[in-house]
Amino acid sequence: MFASISSAVLFGAEGQPVNVEVHVDKGLPAFNVVGLPDESVRESRDRVRAAVMSSGASWPRHRITVNLAPSRGRKTGSGLDLAIAIGVLVAGGSIPIESVRNLAFIGELGLDGSLRPVPGVAPMAGALGDAELVVPIGSALEARVVALGRTRPAAHLREVIEALMGDLPWPDREPEPLPVADEPVSDLSEVRGQPLARRALEIAAAGAHHMLLIGPPGAGKTMLATRLRGLLPLLGRKQALEATMVHSAAGAPLPPSGLVQRAPFRAPHHSSSAAALIGGGSHSLRPGEISLAHGGVLFLDEIAEFAPKVLNGLRQPLEDGTVRIDRSRMHAELPANVLLVGAMNPCPCGGGAPGACQCGDAALNRYVQRISGPLLDRFDLRVNVNRPAVDDLLDDQPGESTAVVAARVAAARDLAWMRQGGVNSELVPAHLEQFAPLESSARLLVRHEIEHDRLSGRGYHRVRRVARTIADLRGEPSEVVLEQDVAMALRMRASIGRPSAIGRVA
Amino acid sequence: MIPSGGFVAALAGFDQMTIARLKWLLAERTPEQAFAMATGALAVSKPVASLFSRYPDLAARWRAEGKRHTPERSWQRCVDAGVAVVMPGDTQFPAQLLDDPRCPAALFVRGDLDVLDARRVGIVGTRNATQRGRETASEFGYELAVAGVVVVSGLARGIDGAAHRGALAVEGSRPVAIVGNGPDRPYPRQHADLWAAVAERGALISEWPPGTQPDAFRFPLRNRILAALVEVVVVVESRERGGSLITAREAAERGVEVLAIPGSLHSRASAGTNQLLRDGATPATDVTDVLVALGLDQRRAGRARFDSRPRPRDEELSLLEACRGEPRTIEGLLLLFDMSIAETAMGLARLERGGWLRETGGWFEAVDQWADLA
Repeated sequence: MFASISSAVLFGAEGQPVNVEVHVDKGLPAFNVVGLPDESVRESRDRVRAAVMSSGASWPRHRITVNLAPSRGRKTGSGLDLAIAIGVLVAGGSIPIESVRNLAFIGELGLDGSLRPVPGVAPMAGALGDAELVVPIGSALEARVVALGRTRPAAHLREVIEALMGDLPWPDREPEPLPVADEPVSDLSEVRGQPLARRALEIAAAGAHHMLLIGPPGAGKTMLATRLRGLLPLLGRKQALEATMVHSAAGAPLPPSGLVQRAPFRAPHHSSSAAALIGGGSHSLRPGEISLAHGGVLFLDEIAEFAPKVLNGLRQPLEDGTVRIDRSRMHAELPANVLLVGAMNPCPCGGGAPGACQCGDAALNRYVQRISGPLLDRFDLRVNVNRPAVDDLLDDQPGESTAVVAARVAAARDLAWMRQGGVNSELVPAHLEQFAPLESSARLLVRHEIEHDRLSGRGYHRVRRVARTIADLRGEPSEVVLEQDVAMALRMRASIGRPSAIGRVA
Repeated sequence: MIPSGGFVAALAGFDQMTIARLKWLLAERTPEQAFAMATGALAVSKPVASLFSRYPDLAARWRAEGKRHTPERSWQRCVDAGVAVVMPGDTQFPAQLLDDPRCPAALFVRGDLDVLDARRVGIVGTRNATQRGRETASEFGYELAVAGVVVVSGLARGIDGAAHRGALAVEGSRPVAIVGNGPDRPYPRQHADLWAAVAERGALISEWPPGTQPDAFRFPLRNRILAALVEVVVVVESRERGGSLITAREAAERGVEVLAIPGSLHSRASAGTNQLLRDGATPATDVTDVLVALGLDQRRAGRARFDSRPRPRDEELSLLEACRGEPRTIEGLLLLFDMSIAETAMGLARLERGGWLRETGGWFEAVDQWADLA
């Protein structure tokens, strides 16, 4: 009396197929699970037994052994419950073995036999090939993203048993709508004044430049950052699928369509741990905030308050666009292509007009050093955000709306794509001369900055990349970057700390 | 044979050594005897005995310090750093300090104390100065040096450094610095060039021996020496509570005239100077005011600096003018003028390139021709 049932477990943002093998044999009644189950899987024994009995089926009074194959790699999560229950019933002879052919089962069981959704159904479904999927009704939407037309949602174990026995047809239900995640995107027209910062948002969106907003409390840094989401283009098919997999794996809410298409916006708190931000932590390697922000914006408010170790963990993902997590027996890659936006005060006291800062040198140095140079290097745009002028706050004239700016962003992205096949933030120094040549007066401007030690080698490349994007945003396909583009780019490289005393190199 | 200066340098470098304690040790004793008393090798004098009885651990502490700071080593440090030890009995010791109620027990000097025979003006101010403030300090330093006045300051960040840079830009000037740590240790480090230049051309004076760390408590102490050594103190910028106000108070107590440079009501960096003006300090709107206070001929010789900057274009003049009165952000400028953000950014970049504007933390300030020294 043996049965083998297809199911899957989650690992990072990928599903791994698991065969649940059940053997029912004579002997003292017992129920064992082998094949590297972790504590959460071992607990399923009690749930499965109660659920089966609540469904009116009989529990075999024999020795039951469950093996989770392949036996290497630790299995975690409660998603194997349903497969174990069906396996026991098939091996015990209650369900004919032919009826489970080419079916796969995913879902957690309640003691009353109800089927509960589990995180990661989308990637697990993707790993199961052509099999038809029996999933909890709450996970049906996720499953349909990858297994449209071969998803069989069920609300209760009894329904599954009855359908398999041929007593009743498969329940044909509309999938329960998932919690709505696509909150209305806040519009740029709500931002009063802030012409420079608005411009920076547009540039960041158009060139995919990481951006650091530096300004006193109350200047509107968070308000600005949240508006970036609406400026970014919708995700492409591949990226949307990747983002959906990550959202599913992390148990994060999906939009009503089931597919994450709008660029995500994630704003983790500065007390976040490295595991929360980058991912990992448990056996299933839960995706971190940077993966949840894949294709969208990762906003780190009060970036200087994050633990330096956590921030430095961002460097590799920002460089590669993926998170690699290596454990002794497991390796996972999670997508992490994000637009990083940081926000911070200019100094611990909040700063303000020249002469207003009252920080001591030591306190200021400590503050500045919390952000390592290599991380700071990633920010192509560093923008001073000041409190809006009173006139602007009282002005009823709304600024440009998200739709207007997003159209310019899309056009600029197209220009970059046609020219070099990628976004401007990815332009390497070797390609700058070819794709972003400077007109002679622009060259003079940059040269002066370098000669006065106000621009380092890296800063020079940053300014040129940003100026390229500014030129693209002018709308006309101009090969050459103009002086006015460089002049604007030079306004986007604020320094933190007190630069005047030491001379600035940005 | 170690000169007695080595013994003083060693003693002054002791942990928990204060000016008062050093004076008690040296009272009616030679430095050699004082060192022996402090380290327990000689019977103590009456004031030292009462000191040790009030602080029971002090004698043991100093005995240990005596092994760390030996006269040999301390003297070698002075020699290596080119530091002379000058005590009140010495002929070079500044006469202005001799009558002072809180006269230092010893001075550690790099350079030549004879420069103090000339007319002396102190220029002090906040470390967190504005661009304008630093420029004013440079301008005053330069103009006073041209008039042959010795500029005395503290070599700190901000106003102090700017004043010294201004003075050093004049050929043959001999500025004086009073510092709060060991004369061999440039602090802040960015001013190492200034330290060297002042020591080379004028005098760099400290109350503390070579190797002394820049501890916070030493700076108010050095302010009193600065106040005692000058004839006039000019406070360029100061917070409502700042070290320069201590200098101003020390100066007032010694009958030294205090001049303050008026600033905007809206600038925190001028809150202290405006307070001084309200309390009766003389306003200084021009270097002439300082020369008048010294009783010098205020008609200055025509050694004005040549302004080498290219003239800004007409369309940029309004931007420059707007930044002259107070610092402006690009947003603020956009509100003032009917210009696009691209035009404004372009104008600002050109003005910055021409040396007419300087940007700090998103704020633009007009700079005058003293900017390169500030």
